[in-house]
Amino acid sequence: MKVADIFGGALGILIGAFAIWEGTKMPVDVVMKIGPSFFPNILGGLLIVFSAILIINALRGRSKGKVEPYRLSDKGTQRGLITLAAGIVFCVVLDPLGFIPTSIVFLTFMMWVMGKRNPLLIAVTPALITLAVWLVFEKVLSLSMPAGVLADYL
Amino acid sequence: MEFNWSLMLASYGTVFTPGVLFIICVGVTAGIVIGSLPGLTATMGVALLVPLTFGRPPLESLSMLLGIYCGAMYGGSISAILIRTPGTPAAAATILEGYPMARRGEAGRAMAMALFASFFGGIVGALIMTFASPVVSSFALEFGPVEYFALAIFGLSVIVSISGRSLIKGMMAAFFGLLISSIGFDPISGFPRFTFGLMEMMEGPPFIPTLIGLFAVSEVFNEVQKTGQIKQLKANLNQYLPSWADIKYCFKHLCRSSFIGTFIGAIPGAGGDIAAFISYGQAKRTSKHPERFGHGEIEGLASSESANNACSGGAMIPLLSLGVPGDAVTAVLLGAFIIQGLQPGPMLYKEHIDIVYQIFASMMLAQFVMLFIGMAGIRLFAKVILVDRAILTPAIFVLSMVGAFAMRSNVFDVYTTLAFGILGYVMMRYDYPLSPILLALILGPMAEANLRRAMVISAGDPSILFSRPIAVVLMGLAVVSLALSIKSQKKVEARLAEMERTLEKETAS
Repeated sequence: MKVADIFGGALGILIGAFAIWEGTKMPVDVVMKIGPSFFPNILGGLLIVFSAILIINALRGRSKGKVEPYRLSDKGTQRGLITLAAGIVFCVVLDPLGFIPTSIVFLTFMMWVMGKRNPLLIAVTPALITLAVWLVFEKVLSLSMPAGVLADYL
Repeated sequence: MEFNWSLMLASYGTVFTPGVLFIICVGVTAGIVIGSLPGLTATMGVALLVPLTFGRPPLESLSMLLGIYCGAMYGGSISAILIRTPGTPAAAATILEGYPMARRGEAGRAMAMALFASFFGGIVGALIMTFASPVVSSFALEFGPVEYFALAIFGLSVIVSISGRSLIKGMMAAFFGLLISSIGFDPISGFPRFTFGLMEMMEGPPFIPTLIGLFAVSEVFNEVQKTGQIKQLKANLNQYLPSWADIKYCFKHLCRSSFIGTFIGAIPGAGGDIAAFISYGQAKRTSKHPERFGHGEIEGLASSESANNACSGGAMIPLLSLGVPGDAVTAVLLGAFIIQGLQPGPMLYKEHIDIVYQIFASMMLAQFVMLFIGMAGIRLFAKVILVDRAILTPAIFVLSMVGAFAMRSNVFDVYTTLAFGILGYVMMRYDYPLSPILLALILGPMAEANLRRAMVISAGDPSILFSRPIAVVLMGLAVVSLALSIKSQKKVEARLAEMERTLEKETAS
């Protein structure tokens, strides 16, 4: 956890500093004395203070808890990264491709990644889940889903 | 404000119609299922299903969400008893007694008591909510910007002081959340802050997508990395209600824990997990047989389960009467209220008193529905917890994204959800608590807007902050709660570590 804490603290300091730096570009209110930058400045300042404490504690060997380091050879880590990639692809293609194809492909792929190999299950379940979600949102609740390539048929 | 009995009765009439009852049943069933699945918390359940209420009338929407809330609080106990895994964090204390009971072959007795205790706690919580929140709200009508600022500060101080293992990380999460909440137009002058020139950021990060990301998508990333089959005890679920002797034996603890649970729920920021652990500890201290605790003592089970359900009624009190959520789930509910065009707070009692009383009524009915559905479906729910993760986890991801998209039909919200999902996952992994962010998103704008309003009134003189007695008391309490938590940090850590060891021992054996 020590390295992670130092890294997290550094990130906190950067975010706090960014907030304060952005604040310098905001207008100052003459009547109230405190303008739009007042609150973010305080928050950024305090975030920096606590991030610094976290780093100091870590350097003095007082980090708490343990965390398993990531190893690329680990199956769980691999699945996590694949899910991340699949999730990004899902978001990118959702609008152009449409909800139904995106969802079916994503579910099939993820079930396979998570170790399902039964062909019938992999073929049927994603379509059923997708259809159920689509029916509830589109037909029961009248909330529109991205139609994408199927726009002419739905 | 006088308690309006005739309106109360009329509201029961409105809620006691087939349509609304059906919606409550749907909500409670969904809640029990969500609660009983480890990794799916009440917060996540409500966040995930809020999109289903877009475009529905307020009473239906809120009844369903309240049903989910109550159901999930009970549902957590099912997996706690049968598979040694808390379905929701609030059920962690239930494992300590529930699982040893199940191992002894008393799963039926444990499940029956968990259901009855949840029902009992829920009723006490709902009753206290019904009678206390109008009083609090009429009190709060006198509140000005200074008091609201102090209230927000108090809420934030509580969240930080109870945020778990590391106080510093809790603080960092809270200030980071507050910074996120300051994205968008500033509340007084309308200057756009930290928007990076994006139109979509002008109103700040969209609330529901942010929540779904933090609480649902993060869990998907967490869940895909796990492997292994869930092992369930062979349970003989032959009992629907606890025996009269069991109820009599636990009655004292049921009552005391329900009150403790309601009270803790009503403190902004403290939720069901804390209520359950505190009541459990209290039951152990006052029990005639403290040595039996940890070996399947039904008193302990009754107190933790009644406390976490009573907590939901308690958490609704500050939400309805002050507009300040009592725990993480009510923070999500606040979002649902706003989508319905209702702003919780004292003005809700002036403008929408009918809906307030209907909420009281549906909260009460939800408890009865929970009791009946819990009894009828006990065998089914015991099976549900074995549902295949390889199908469930990807489906949750899809549902999260669809829910995020549905509100504004905007792809930006989908990206927001994914971004917050990744953020939430990383934070959980490195022990940064997530609830402070959620409550900061609500309390941040409240603190800032009221602070600056106060400054407008006083023409920039900060002494106005100390000119009102209630505000001074609240700020004093904030300082005390922070000071106490810093002082008792070591003790809390030791106790948490002990709890974790006990849980680990239980899970390992």
